[in-house]
Amino acid sequence: MNANPLSELPQHQLPISQPRYVGQDVPRIEDPLLLTGRAEFGDNIHKTGMLHAAILRSPYAHARIRGIDTSRAEALPGVAAVLVGAEVKAQSRPVFGIPEGWTGHALAVEKTHWAGEPVAIVAAEDRYVAEDALELIEVDYEPLEPMVNALEAADGKGPVVLEGKDTNVMYARKFTFGDVDTAFAEADLVVNEDSRWHRSAGNPIETCVCIARWDPFDQSLTLEGSHRSPLLVMPALVGALGLSPTQIRIYTSPLGGSFGVKTFARYVILLSLLAKKLGGRPVKWTEDRIEHLAGNSSHAWDRHHNAAMAVRQDGTITAVRIRAMDDFGAFGEWLGVGQIVKPITIFPGCYRIPAYEYDCAAVLTNKVPQGPYRGFGLPSHYWVLEQLVDLAAEKLGMDRAEIRRKNFIRRDEFPYTIPSGNVYDSGDYEAGLDLLLEKADYAALKEQQAAARKQGRLVGLSVVTSIEPGLTGTPMLGLLSPRMFSRTSSPEGMALRMDGFGKMIAQVGFPWGGQSQHTFVRQILADYFAVKAEDVQVVVADSSTMQPGMGPVSSRIAVALGGAVVGAAKLLAEKLGRVAAVMLEADPGDVELKDGAFQVRGAPARSAPVPQVAGFMLARADKLPEGVDGNPEVSFVWNPPDHYLADEQGRSHYGVTATSAVHLCMLEVDHGTGQVEILRYVMVDDCGVRLNPSVVRGQLLGSLAQGLGNALYEEYVYDDQGQLLTTTYMDYLMPTVMEVPVVEEYEQCTPSPVTSLGQKGVGEGALHTTPAAVRCAINDALHPLGVHIAEAPATPFRIWSALQAAATSP
Amino acid sequence: MKPPRFEYFSPRSLSETVAILAEHGDGAKVLAGGQSLLPLLNMRLARPSVLVDINRVSRLDTVRPHGTGGVAIGATVRQRSLHGDPTLLDRLPILGTASQFIGHQQIRSRGTICGSLAHADPAAELPALAVALEAEMVASSASGERVLPAADFFVDYLTTVLEPTEVLTEVRFPGPPAGMRWAFLEMSRRHGDFALAGVVAGLSTSDDGSSIKAARLVVFGVAGTPVRASAVEAALVGQPPTDSVLTDAAAEATRLLDPPADVHGSGAYRRALAQTLTVRALQACRESHGTAEPAT
Repeated sequence: MNANPLSELPQHQLPISQPRYVGQDVPRIEDPLLLTGRAEFGDNIHKTGMLHAAILRSPYAHARIRGIDTSRAEALPGVAAVLVGAEVKAQSRPVFGIPEGWTGHALAVEKTHWAGEPVAIVAAEDRYVAEDALELIEVDYEPLEPMVNALEAADGKGPVVLEGKDTNVMYARKFTFGDVDTAFAEADLVVNEDSRWHRSAGNPIETCVCIARWDPFDQSLTLEGSHRSPLLVMPALVGALGLSPTQIRIYTSPLGGSFGVKTFARYVILLSLLAKKLGGRPVKWTEDRIEHLAGNSSHAWDRHHNAAMAVRQDGTITAVRIRAMDDFGAFGEWLGVGQIVKPITIFPGCYRIPAYEYDCAAVLTNKVPQGPYRGFGLPSHYWVLEQLVDLAAEKLGMDRAEIRRKNFIRRDEFPYTIPSGNVYDSGDYEAGLDLLLEKADYAALKEQQAAARKQGRLVGLSVVTSIEPGLTGTPMLGLLSPRMFSRTSSPEGMALRMDGFGKMIAQVGFPWGGQSQHTFVRQILADYFAVKAEDVQVVVADSSTMQPGMGPVSSRIAVALGGAVVGAAKLLAEKLGRVAAVMLEADPGDVELKDGAFQVRGAPARSAPVPQVAGFMLARADKLPEGVDGNPEVSFVWNPPDHYLADEQGRSHYGVTATSAVHLCMLEVDHGTGQVEILRYVMVDDCGVRLNPSVVRGQLLGSLAQGLGNALYEEYVYDDQGQLLTTTYMDYLMPTVMEVPVVEEYEQCTPSPVTSLGQKGVGEGALHTTPAAVRCAINDALHPLGVHIAEAPATPFRIWSALQAAATSP
Repeated sequence: MKPPRFEYFSPRSLSETVAILAEHGDGAKVLAGGQSLLPLLNMRLARPSVLVDINRVSRLDTVRPHGTGGVAIGATVRQRSLHGDPTLLDRLPILGTASQFIGHQQIRSRGTICGSLAHADPAAELPALAVALEAEMVASSASGERVLPAADFFVDYLTTVLEPTEVLTEVRFPGPPAGMRWAFLEMSRRHGDFALAGVVAGLSTSDDGSSIKAARLVVFGVAGTPVRASAVEAALVGQPPTDSVLTDAAAEATRLLDPPADVHGSGAYRRALAQTLTVRALQACRESHGTAEPAT
């Protein structure tokens, strides 16, 4: 066993002398079922009398629907129902989204807004018949000019995407913190870059699944499937369908990945309406892969940036300006628009930048609507910011690591409030950098690079950093919709019950996926009550029985659920302690839990083991103290501390923890093909106490792979008619195990002073950092030729084109 | 992603197979490994009324020696045999080397060699190898068998000279010229993807290495079919295998190519890739990095 970092913690809250599970590489209990496919995934679910749905989608990016004839489809044997836009419009409100008013209905009504938008849905005996029926639906389309150019959309040119609007600019706001103008006016050096980050998205191995059933007798709706957070989709259902939450019950299945896309509010609404029309028969829709690529509201971050950094001669960064314009696609569904404002929560990254301006906009185009994707808009931000730092270092002749060191927030400055109001809880960025440089042997790498350059090889190096906010609270969403989000709560709850033998059932509100909550909840509770890990069973509640909770969003689970589980354990210990006081004939104030037994302070011989106390509590109602019921059960809802609504300037305490990362990348560009080969990749991550180090490594390596996808491979490409050209995995390229390099990962631990066990949120951080690390290294490799890549992904063709430009320029 | 209704046949003999094809002609499609056909069916891009599954047809799953140093491969032999079958590895190791570029292990375990040839994707590896190695295709129908040189087999993108009533029952790779060293290179965005451009090159040189005795050069992924640079092969004979000779040969071999653009790059990029890879492949042959064929 490793030395346990918990033991060193001032806020070490586990009443055990030596934790046995927390901080250890406990194998994930989720793994055997998930990895062998034995878990009951949504598509495995079968219900008696269940029908299968298929969706007809618009072939046009923008077209008026002059008429729909479903009669031939309805006449096909095996077809139970066909639902079209007019019925959807009559029975529901548009799909929920913030800011309000920028979405359509769950089916296209008067016109279609992107190629792939649902136009009709069929329920039939099986999916084959359902797809046959789609071919029998006749839609009379009048093609309209599509809006495909976001820059024109921002300038007010071209067709308007949404009926009833006179603009395509859905959201625009310029945030200014500090005296940016003066800093730029007085700068010794200003570096600029215009850049383009193309669309990509989360692509879980399991697509979205929803099984809906309407009970006509008690007027209730039951949903099952791959829903990641019941209480996040519930408001969308309530808002669109006009039902009360008490009429809706959502059961979640284990997830084969989510990465943010498993909310699919549009389809949940659509399936619910179809189920209502079916009047009792359950209906299942399993999104197919092309639907996922072209039809879900799941594309992300399609950004045009103009960026500038003001720097002093000594390398001090004094101000940054970034303009980010996001080509958002057809609608602003659900919470997706939040991705454009999230950069203000960590705008300066690891650096003491006193002034910055963030001018952001989200515009509508006739493309797939964006939705949340792991990283929630931060990867492109660091990809811009870190490149500016490198450009400044180059101009000043400074080493890339040293300019960063010079600007780091210092270890004695925490808690550190950045100009946009967020508070970084703790960190030691210089120590992280030193660890990285030492482990990578940075000096030797620079020599290797110099030697390679002498041979004419294009070898590049980078050192980049990032901050990963461990959960971002609802005040950020209030920036988009003060009406919907005048709230500071971002709850995560847990119900905890003990039986008469000291065994526990801990109930969480979101399903198995990549978050490892079943494993780490077990670890914490087993240590708290000094029982075996197997004595703790973690179960998933449905929407009607779960505690308030947002589930796995914004790197929050270790922080939020980790807070909930310790909070619940404390409450249970208090409750049991009052019973133990009766058993031990002591004052309740003198009884404490230690190493699995309640003992009288100062007289440890007088003690009662936890199971005995729980058993007594259940068995001897006659002995229970006043106000204590005979039930060793509690619930606790954690909320982020010190959150407040954003002020007029947009300042708030948005996060809870600030995990820091520093990555080094060394790569070589092939002069002839433009291909990139990663030679060395080293990362250091400081997410405080690692509750389960192997889970943390899994999060880091997984998000690194997705970051590599953004850096080099993944892009949704549209033609000038708004047709998506990358509708299969032959053209939308995610890195496979053959492309992801072997990564050296080193742990740094600056415990968080604000979380239950010193942990910090981790899950998105490597995805924040890797695109920047790869691009900065590519541009370092290309630097001797005087060319520069300002697009993500940096495809071989783009790099080759830049090399051609270098070859032909004088 | 479900196919429309079709009729399914699972014949046990070749005569039964060709009889079904004769009856259904245009409406029938042969299913072997299914690695290209099934996605096309599921996306409803191919809509055959009849599917003729040849996986249970006897005697089509064999690899046998063919002539001096060559091999004949039956219609249902899987691509994994290219790097697993002893006869193939012994006689034509270049096929084993090149097979690592074909998709992934799962694909090679199902996909057939003849299926890839009959599908005729110009970015696939096997058609290019067949042309470079001067393979012969055996097409069977109810009216008998015809043997077609690979050079005449491929017509255009996904198009061969096979009639709807024919099935490709065997491909015969002759033994390659003695002493020829081969190289196979391709560029794809990721390992296992279809090539943006690729090249099969073979060189044999005089004993002292000072002059080229024979050359083979086929580029692929850059036109509707694999492109053999016969004139360049002929021009190389007698020349010294210097960098400048090989570079000029690569330029000449790719000069007239006009590949289409797609989401991965422009036509000019693909042509440049073909040229770069050709130089590298010829250099690899010269420097014995290529795969030497056993002298026969």
